[in-house]
Amino acid sequence: MYQLNKVDKTFPGVHALKAVDFTIGRGEIVGLVGENGAGKSTLMKVIYGAYQPDGGNVTIDGKTVRFANPRQAMDHGIGMVFQEQSLIPNLTVMENIYLGFEQQFVRFGVIDWKKMAAAASAQLAKVKLSIDPSMTTANLSFAQRQLVELAKVLTLEERIDGDLVILLDEPTSVLAREEVELLFSLVRELTSRASFIFVSHRMDEVLELSDRIYVMKDGAVVDVVAQADAKVENIQHKMVGRDVDKEYYREQKQKPYDPSQVLASFENVTVTSSFKDLSFELHPGEVLCLVGTEGSGREAVLRTVFGLEKPTSGTVEVKGSPYGKANARTAVERGVGYVPRERKVEGIVNGMNVYENMTLSQMGKYSTGGILRIGEERALAEKWVERLAIKTPNVYKDCGGLSGGNQQKVVLAKWRSGGSDIILLDHPTRGLDIGAKEDVYDMVREMCDDGVGIILVADTLEEAIGLSHTILVLKDGEFQKRFDGTPGDKPSLFDLVHHMI
Amino acid sequence: MNFENLRPYFPWITLVVLVLLVGIANPAFFDPVGLISLVADIVPLFIMALGMTFAIYIGGIDLSMQQVANLVTVVATVYLAQFGIGVAVICIVAGFGIGALSGYVTTRQFVPSFVSTLATGFIALSGARYLSGERALSMDATIRNESFGWMFGTTAGVPHELVIAGVLLAIAWFLQSRTTFGRSLKAVGAGELAAVSSGINVDKIKIIAFAISGTFAAIAGLMFSVKLSGGDANLANGFLILAIVAVLVGGTPLTGGVGGVLNTLVGTLIVVVIRTAMVYLQVDATMQQMVFGIILIVAIALTIDRSKMGTVK
Repeated sequence: MYQLNKVDKTFPGVHALKAVDFTIGRGEIVGLVGENGAGKSTLMKVIYGAYQPDGGNVTIDGKTVRFANPRQAMDHGIGMVFQEQSLIPNLTVMENIYLGFEQQFVRFGVIDWKKMAAAASAQLAKVKLSIDPSMTTANLSFAQRQLVELAKVLTLEERIDGDLVILLDEPTSVLAREEVELLFSLVRELTSRASFIFVSHRMDEVLELSDRIYVMKDGAVVDVVAQADAKVENIQHKMVGRDVDKEYYREQKQKPYDPSQVLASFENVTVTSSFKDLSFELHPGEVLCLVGTEGSGREAVLRTVFGLEKPTSGTVEVKGSPYGKANARTAVERGVGYVPRERKVEGIVNGMNVYENMTLSQMGKYSTGGILRIGEERALAEKWVERLAIKTPNVYKDCGGLSGGNQQKVVLAKWRSGGSDIILLDHPTRGLDIGAKEDVYDMVREMCDDGVGIILVADTLEEAIGLSHTILVLKDGEFQKRFDGTPGDKPSLFDLVHHMI
Repeated sequence: MNFENLRPYFPWITLVVLVLLVGIANPAFFDPVGLISLVADIVPLFIMALGMTFAIYIGGIDLSMQQVANLVTVVATVYLAQFGIGVAVICIVAGFGIGALSGYVTTRQFVPSFVSTLATGFIALSGARYLSGERALSMDATIRNESFGWMFGTTAGVPHELVIAGVLLAIAWFLQSRTTFGRSLKAVGAGELAAVSSGINVDKIKIIAFAISGTFAAIAGLMFSVKLSGGDANLANGFLILAIVAVLVGGTPLTGGVGGVLNTLVGTLIVVVIRTAMVYLQVDATMQQMVFGIILIVAIALTIDRSKMGTVK
């Protein structure tokens, strides 16, 4: 029914889609998997009209179509449920659902709110959500917003006569198991009217829901498997192009930490509106992982250790004493290093070269009276480029032009070369391909061997379990439970999720 | 060599092409004596543009510079008789102070720099009008020559104005390229969030950057005042847009982090050549501002890095 034929898309320097063929039948659920950078997002953007293909064509029931923008795609029945939720928080639920399509409720130039509320309630009923449509969206839970987002796309049912194609981009990444089940049963029900394209990193979910699975690698579709023949290992192999190490998280290299020393400690610490009454100690050689859903306060804990947030009550001690003023400068001087989630924006300075980035946090050590000793900076950078095997032609290369994995290595080199021994890792492997992820895991183990204490907010629960010595589960800013992560005795996914939600 | 790789050389190419065009149209343009006096003539503008570079390099802008220069022309004229050459210190302190104030308002009160500097500029303008009694004042010729006459002498055919410009350029370049301050400046301009998470005191860096732009505005105002041997609250009007044009056509975009003071040298020369060309082409004086307005728009449109801007407001 909906078809992409030999679709090509190029950006300056990147061949993002290479002659991609893609078909979806009426009522079918198609899975789409691939590593970050494999071209999934670009493919989806072509499908819902945000990008226009450079080559090939798009057909619906054999007729060639071309969408100049997502609105035109919608008029052909193609809707997108966004991963980064696209609802506007300060509008009501019904305003969000009919955003841009209010005209149908307008009488004599004003909106008939009652009529809109009734229509919105009907949409919400489709996704089995019983909330007041005049609620402000910000007051909904994350899962509820996800469903509202789906309800919004389902307005296409009334608006469009033909078939619908609905894209679901990572819809389950922050949902609890029961919520996932609910979403899946909804999707299956809705196949009477719509086809779905399901994109997810969670292989088991893709296998469970999809009729067919498209596997992408380097901008091309490398395989299409039917649900009956699909095996996780085979698909992973095709995505990565090689076998994945069984000891992915380097558990064999995990050594016990030294409990007699304390690098940093929290004692009944509260930061208003983020988390409350949290206590823990970080020891040399320990990976302490904070686990919780989005908004559970994990990031705020990191920011507090880094001195960017001041505790409202309780005591934060780093290297034996609390901070005076709330700024990052003192934290850096005490040996705290922060590897932020937004690597390209907060991690490296895009526009500065490798050595400039590496010494950014420690310019005092490479200057006399404010004048830089650039020769020494270069020598330092060259040493760490070699030590961490950073792929760059030379140290003069703009860090913005390095791959994600190498950028992350530059950020880690910045802190380690400065002698930081408390490292805060916020989603350190987000957006990295598997090889680069393994490099990061290796570095985590090496740092522990050197006596560094690490506080980690992991990208996935598997990563959290695999890497950590200690796991603290947070929920809505409240401490739930502490797990021990000694190899062989690690908690299961279920144990954690149970306390997270 | 594609378009993107050539980009850093655009200002140089533009300058060479313009010089050749003007030179072909009017060979007298290449007369060395004329050239030197032409260049020496725009030294106050160049100094102001140098200061502007610091504000724009961190992704801000300093709209108060012209008013600071106005204020300084009045201060210099009023207090010259009393303090002699010491008036230079007063002027520089005033410029530094107003710049630091703009920086403080921008960083600590979270007012975008184009508004905060516009506001401090008005404060400076008020000061200038009050101090001058809204009259055009003139300096006592003897004291002027004793204290500042050296600024406009020549050594071996080189006007001292050019030497002063060269020294200031060297200082600005050294600050920008060889010091921890300059490196922090670049980090703030190119990636402020990364600078924060590297423990850099971003607010301090920004305040100093605005203080430097204020200082350079004061130096420019002082030279201009001595040159014209007087001061009034409107003397430096017209400099602001030229200084901004010079920085932007030189290749330091409004989003900051790229370019620098050498680019501003090229940008200022481009402005001079365009101005000269307009004289040769007998463009009406009333039209010249329009030409620079258009150049400003084109320069911003060509240089700005849209990936750094979420929305334009």
